[in-house]
Amino acid sequence: MYEKHLAWGVLFRIFHWAFALSIVFLVVTGLYIHSPWTNSVIEGSRSFPMAEMRHVHFIAAYCFMGAVFLRIYLWFFGNRQEKFWDSAPVTGRNIRNLFSTVTYYLYIKDEHEPRLGHNCLAGTVYIVTIVIAFFQILSGLYLLFPESTFWQGVGLSIFGTQQEARFYHFLTMWYFLIFVLVHLYILIWNDIRDPEGLISSIFCGKKFFEKGALDNK
Amino acid sequence: MSRNICEKELGPGLTRRGFLKGCALAAAALGLSDELIPRLVEAAASSKRPSVVWLHFQECTGCTEGLLRASHPDIGRLILDIISLDYHETVQAAAGNQAEEILKETITREKGKFICVVEGAIPTRDGGIYCKIGGRTALEIVKDVAPKAAAVVAIGTCASFGGVQAAHPNPTGAKGVGEILGKPVVNIPGCPPNPIAFLGTVLHLLTFKRLPELDRLGRPLFAYGRKNHDQCERRAHFDEGRFVEQFGDENHKKGYCLYKVGCKGPVTYANCPAVRFNDVGVWPVGAGHGCIGCTEPDFWDTCSPFYERLPGIRVPGGGGVITDADSVGKKILGITAVAAGIHAAAGIGKRLTKGSK
Ligand code: HEM
Ligand code: SF4
Repeated sequence: MYEKHLAWGVLFRIFHWAFALSIVFLVVTGLYIHSPWTNSVIEGSRSFPMAEMRHVHFIAAYCFMGAVFLRIYLWFFGNRQEKFWDSAPVTGRNIRNLFSTVTYYLYIKDEHEPRLGHNCLAGTVYIVTIVIAFFQILSGLYLLFPESTFWQGVGLSIFGTQQEARFYHFLTMWYFLIFVLVHLYILIWNDIRDPEGLISSIFCGKKFFEKGALDNK
Repeated sequence: MSRNICEKELGPGLTRRGFLKGCALAAAALGLSDELIPRLVEAAASSKRPSVVWLHFQECTGCTEGLLRASHPDIGRLILDIISLDYHETVQAAAGNQAEEILKETITREKGKFICVVEGAIPTRDGGIYCKIGGRTALEIVKDVAPKAAAVVAIGTCASFGGVQAAHPNPTGAKGVGEILGKPVVNIPGCPPNPIAFLGTVLHLLTFKRLPELDRLGRPLFAYGRKNHDQCERRAHFDEGRFVEQFGDENHKKGYCLYKVGCKGPVTYANCPAVRFNDVGVWPVGAGHGCIGCTEPDFWDTCSPFYERLPGIRVPGGGGVITDADSVGKKILGITAVAAGIHAAAGIGKRLTKGSK
């Protein structure tokens, strides 16, 4: 017998998809800005590939910023699973879960602790990701407002010159690519091993557990 | 001009026409309305010319050359006309002890009033012994002269940020003046900088009795407030996706954007496209070569390779291997994909041998 539990609220799911889709757009347009492959040789043909890619990059960037702020808000004001403390490696329960998840993922142990929220390994990586996203936003804003002495002050103290900020901005893109790859792989892996409905939970918010499995958790 | 300087070297004297032209150019660079030009002219023509002490350290004298050997020497002459250049090793007649005396005399007489211009970086390693003039290290000289000045202007990227001698591995421990003095100075970076930026700063000081507004790196905003990329004549080609793929190709001949062959205009604050050099209306991108970012700190390290968009990654240990950023990213991504593949295979293998749980 399985029972349904609400894991993720609506705001959380909006955050997730705003974050995921904006990353797709940011990476695609960012790669174009980095190395533009079109060569529109006909002049005056009303084609603005670079201008348009940058435009989409900046719109996606604002969605990305919105998503990151939403996530930080939910760290403090979200439901129990969404809160920072529920998945950060700061409590005994979570640290034990971190080790048991690692052994589970390495095929050393077969059983794993059912949790309505993130397991602690995932939770830790997500927190790191939001922190990295935050710095990506700072370098992006520094690049976006080159004539503002405020952003120049912020950018110089964290990244250095515009060129260095571009460099870090570009390197950080690879973090997001790697994150997406690993994230999708582990999700599918978990979904195959454990019929919790992990993947559909980010659409409908609900996960499935054997009756009573979450009691006294 | 002080008697000490060889006037003849500089060619015919400055005409009134040249004088006004120089003032108008500086006013334009400063972004002043033409109503203010008379004030500028008045300040420039006043008899109270500020005394300037111009120090040379680790440098190539290119900044001085850029200033004096302009094709029409109006700007250079104008600068020499509105300041009293009391000490300048390249153009002064005096040498040896006599020159040293003049320096000592000037900084005592004009204490708190003179402008100290520094050209070149200052080595700090091993007590600064890598640059000595008259038996004193550059470090000692600048610490003696600069604190007595009313204002310190670092001309060129070396004096501003250390320049080429501060490039990795910086064997002499070269630093910019601002870092040595630990107080803000006006930085006029560039390799060489445009004389207009220096002229504008001096005229601003004379006319308004204060320094122009600076950015966070001490550069006057009137000259370094905007990126080359945002003023470039090839910008339309950038937006419309037309790029030079290789020097000398068809696109290069057509004057397309130099982004893909490493132009650093998008990260470089300067007014080169607006002011241009040597009165002949040219700047590197105008001549078909990408901007190399010469007004930026550490540009030798961060903007090179000059013909690539982003610098390589210095892998620590391993003998400082330089790998380009793209290939590092791709490799890590590849390793991650392989790791996921191995993980999946291990799972399938385990299931085949043990049966599913
Ligand atoms: C996951 C997030 C993001 C990724 C993967 C990403 C990726 C990239 C890449 C690869 C570039 C080209 C770098 C180069 O080679 O020069 C770029 C440029 C840029 N990005 Fe992002 N970016 C992200 C987020 C942001 C954010 C949040 C902003 C904030 C406003 C932003 C603003 C910019 C700007 C202004 C540029 C420079 C465009 C230009 O000057 O032509 N990016 N981005
Ligand atoms: S040539 Fe350089 S500065 Fe000019 S538009 Fe292209 S990238 Fe920008």
